[in-house]
Amino acid sequence: MATIRVPGALRLLTANQADVEVEAATVRAALAALDQRYPGIAGKILDGEAVKPFIRIYVGADDITALQGLDTPVTARDEIAIIPAIAGGR
Amino acid sequence: MKATVVGAGGLGGPLALALAAAGVELVIVDPDVVEVSNLHRQIHFTAADLGEAKATTLAARVARAGGRAKGYRLRWVAEDGDDLSGDSDLVVDGSDDPETKFAVSDWAVARGKPYVIAAAVQFGGNVLVGAPGTACYRCLFEEPVAAATCAAAGVLGPVVGAIGGLAAALALAVAHGGAHGNLGTLYVFDDLRASPDPRVVRFSPRAGCSACAQRKAS
Repeated sequence: MATIRVPGALRLLTANQADVEVEAATVRAALAALDQRYPGIAGKILDGEAVKPFIRIYVGADDITALQGLDTPVTARDEIAIIPAIAGGR
Repeated sequence: MKATVVGAGGLGGPLALALAAAGVELVIVDPDVVEVSNLHRQIHFTAADLGEAKATTLAARVARAGGRAKGYRLRWVAEDGDDLSGDSDLVVDGSDDPETKFAVSDWAVARGKPYVIAAAVQFGGNVLVGAPGTACYRCLFEEPVAAATCAAAGVLGPVVGAIGGLAAALALAVAHGGAHGNLGTLYVFDDLRASPDPRVVRFSPRAGCSACAQRKAS
């Protein structure tokens, strides 16, 4: 199963789970599976059919925008990292 | 060597003290005053500083340590960028405000100056190193909306020291031309309690990035 790395900012929605394993063939399907387990989380990552502009998604070392976007294939060995912009530090 | 430090809080404190101790003259910009809720993470301030402007108080702290700094109680905005930072060799952002981070990055890209953008929230943070000709903050995150902030999510006190220290080290490296391997790179620390190892995100210029397009046009 592919592993989704959930950023700290979204872990309130995953009962504090940092890594979530999902059965999926694409990034889109992986996010759908994540949302099925933790309803509402996809809405924090996606804006309709697109990734929100302040979030990047990587499969392994590659930004999916340089691959096939949400249709990027994933395998059981892949890690899908969700990387949001953060602004704290004051 | 001169640098602007944007933000005099949890990140700006260690950034300013470390850069000044390395001989960098500083401009420190922050609109806020010291509040009691700041003291667990902004350890460059004391209870005696409550109600005082962060920027000038931090500048005085730097001066007491033997450094050179001027503090301005202002929010750093692009319209003031040339006045505040035009003679800085680099700009380092440790603000808590997505708009400011994008403004700093866009201004630095337009002026051809290196910059570092640091952020910390909850148990982790990230640091981006940018310089002329490399992918910029806007290439990566596109626009300033709804980013997680300390105000909304909180931050563990020592996390800002760790992220601020790394940002200072990278700022010194980029200022002295020794950061080639780090340019256009985002270091993501997910949870420093669990692991000090960052995820290293290398990214390329984004087609359609307005900041990069403006730079090319000028």
